[in-house]
Amino acid sequence: MKCKKVERFLLRSFDELLKEEEKNELKKHLESCPLCQTKREEYQTILDALKEKDFPEPKPYFWERLQPKLKERKKYDPWSLWKQWALRAIPASMLLVILLATAIMLFIPPQKEKLSDSGDLLLRNLDPLQETTILLEEEKVEDKNMMLIFVAMEEKNSTGRYLP
Amino acid sequence: MQEKELVRLSKEGNKEAFASLVKKYKTKVFNLAWSLTRDRETADDLAQEAFIKAYVALPKFQFKSEFGTWLYRITVNHTRDFLRKKSKMSKILVEKMKEMPLVQENEMTKKEKELISEQRRKFVRQCLQTIPEKYQVIISLRDIQGFSYEEITNILKISPGTVDSRLHRARKMLRKKLAPFFIQKGGNHEM
Repeated sequence: MKCKKVERFLLRSFDELLKEEEKNELKKHLESCPLCQTKREEYQTILDALKEKDFPEPKPYFWERLQPKLKERKKYDPWSLWKQWALRAIPASMLLVILLATAIMLFIPPQKEKLSDSGDLLLRNLDPLQETTILLEEEKVEDKNMMLIFVAMEEKNSTGRYLP
Repeated sequence: MQEKELVRLSKEGNKEAFASLVKKYKTKVFNLAWSLTRDRETADDLAQEAFIKAYVALPKFQFKSEFGTWLYRITVNHTRDFLRKKSKMSKILVEKMKEMPLVQENEMTKKEKELISEQRRKFVRQCLQTIPEKYQVIISLRDIQGFSYEEITNILKISPGTVDSRLHRARKMLRKKLAPFFIQKGGNHEM
């Protein structure tokens, strides 16, 4: 096993993360490699030095000192203000929008559909063929035909429909 | 009362419940800050600020992790911010360290040995403050505070593989920093 790989094993061994076979492999290498032995001692010295015998305690009256700071912070906390006011305002404003939309739909009458001339005449209970009837009653055949052509052209222009 | 119940009550603004949580966690939170700053006054301030941050953020706490883990995460992040701002200060410390040997002499009285051991401890910790803060944090959590890999994964929100590799790199870095002092022992080894 190479020394570089051993270093990884060595470091993992301090956390007891090695499998049994890896432990044996490491032990075997350490027995034959003085450099890695020294490395292990150095790491051990560092880790021992890092271990704390006595941790210091926080300064006295921790909660008593913390309490006024919490009060102060709570006053200007934007999240609390948002929670207090805006979260109530959201459902209220949504309800208002729904009510307005319903009112608009209920009270504004639907727009009338535009009727064609003949539809308009029928609605008013008038004869839509009144004009044509007058033309058909003409005596001269030429006049009748000419009139009918002009009327057909006019109607074609307005409705897009071909009339003989 | 169960911790979950205390957290729920604190979320609703119950000060007494939050006081119980502070009482339970103040030492651990303080120690976390202290292990990274090595200053009691600063660590106390950071611990207080971490609790204020937690109190303000409590309504957003979803019980997805343990309250303690969540609180430690706040503390670590807050202390990291502090360290980033103060990073220039730690560079001065290296100069002060040069006269402190890491070797342990054999012919010493118990008192002298204790004194040397204490000096060594101080020395290694001062050296720790000179490595990048993300490596300081991982060493502090694992080697000083003794958190498990799983706990570190949850506190730092990183994968177990990242915990392993970062810790490995951090220890190597610290050893490299201390290398000149190990050489005094007489070893002529590869660094």
